[in-house]
Amino acid sequence: MQEYKRIPIGKDQIVPVAERMKKEGRFLVMIHGYIDKEGQTVLSYEYAVDPDIESYCVTGENTVPSIGEIYDTAATWPEREINELFGVVFEGLDMSQRLFLPEDMLETQGKGHIMVTPLSELVEKNKKEAKQ
Amino acid sequence: MSYIVPIGPYHPALEEPIHAKLYTEGEVIKDAEVFVGYNHRGIEKLATERNAIQTLVLVERVCGICSHSHAFTYAMAVENINGITPPKRGEYIRVITAELERLHSHFLWLGIACHIIGHDSMFMHIWDERELVMDLLEEMTGNRVNYAMVTIGGSRRDISDELRVKILAACDTLEEKLKRITEIAVTDKTIALRTKGVGTLPRDVALKMGAIGPHARASGVDVDVRRDSPYSAYGDFEFGVPVVDSGDVYARVVIRALESAESIKIIRQALENLPEGPINLGNKLVKIQDGVFVARHEAPRGQLSYMVVGNGSLYNHRVSIHVPSYKNTPTIPAMLRGNTVADAGLIVASIDPCFSCLDR
Repeated sequence: MQEYKRIPIGKDQIVPVAERMKKEGRFLVMIHGYIDKEGQTVLSYEYAVDPDIESYCVTGENTVPSIGEIYDTAATWPEREINELFGVVFEGLDMSQRLFLPEDMLETQGKGHIMVTPLSELVEKNKKEAKQ
Repeated sequence: MSYIVPIGPYHPALEEPIHAKLYTEGEVIKDAEVFVGYNHRGIEKLATERNAIQTLVLVERVCGICSHSHAFTYAMAVENINGITPPKRGEYIRVITAELERLHSHFLWLGIACHIIGHDSMFMHIWDERELVMDLLEEMTGNRVNYAMVTIGGSRRDISDELRVKILAACDTLEEKLKRITEIAVTDKTIALRTKGVGTLPRDVALKMGAIGPHARASGVDVDVRRDSPYSAYGDFEFGVPVVDSGDVYARVVIRALESAESIKIIRQALENLPEGPINLGNKLVKIQDGVFVARHEAPRGQLSYMVVGNGSLYNHRVSIHVPSYKNTPTIPAMLRGNTVADAGLIVASIDPCFSCLDR
């Protein structure tokens, strides 16, 4: 049975945890991002400590260090995605190119409006733009 | 002479859109870049305004090949948040569907790989066998693509005794045909000449970049969620995890043929020991409790993960979907370097990419 263990950490522990996990030969399952009910950004670094997942969570930080040096593209792609969707800045990460968002939305890249704005507002905005 | 050769977003060798830039010296690729996002449909955003049953329907449409894997993994995440344990028979039916899906996915890729290298008789031979799997899936689920076999708390459709016997008999036929396909894949000169030493991803690079699934196992990385972190009913079955070391396109062909045989073994064990009892807990629409869970499933292309955040309402607070191609696509430039432009299409296709999965 898969177990999911959540461990809160500060942003200064992100790199040391990643280094320890890499040394132990653990896979980085994913870095997830979401806005919690209190409106704070939550980043969770999920490591496969088989058979379980250990999830190291950082809450309320909008600038954190990148772990791209340690986990290469397994870390930089999710970091770029979180930057596009939530506007979190990863220090040391090359964020000069888009990953998923269309090129005509580059002016909004890193401002994180996609996952924060309610869907109904996005639909209204698109309708208005279509009329213009 | 140096050229920048663009491939895609639309290209005959690509089943789905991706853009690759090849930096070449004559015929040789010196470096490459990949660009994704051409299929981005905002599925994660849509999921935040849907209940659990609606989300099952939505996530099955992330991908046309591994649709069951998406519903299966989402259901596992919600069940874990809510503390629901599906009945054993329901879990077995989920596993049987998942392994049939793996078979048709692997046969599809093997066929396409043969088609790209110009071995069309092999392509047709493999797709003929795939059709047998598709017929079984259609008879079992009523559909050829989106099976709708999963509900929160179990499976939606049962397997009758008559169908159970039929699938078991089909396993014998499949096994026989697969032996022949594997033999051809391993010994055929045309396949060897076009795939051996092409698009090599060494083990250390695969590990460094976090490659997963058959793509990683073809580079000697021994990883499989079904074995390493048994979930659903996978702990009840005996199966092997084939690993090949050479890391080239040839290894990716061989690994998928070998894995298909293991899937047939799992299907046979599940059908022979199919438990009696209910297949689900009553198909009730559940509130997604306050909590977070990350579920993992070994989809045909590798580890698929779903993070679901619940807030006590009928709707998802957040669904985050990450597919195997998310980890494997960044390895494409590393595989392209040092190869010729003529092999680029085959190398990109060799990771069995699913860009509609990747972009969501």
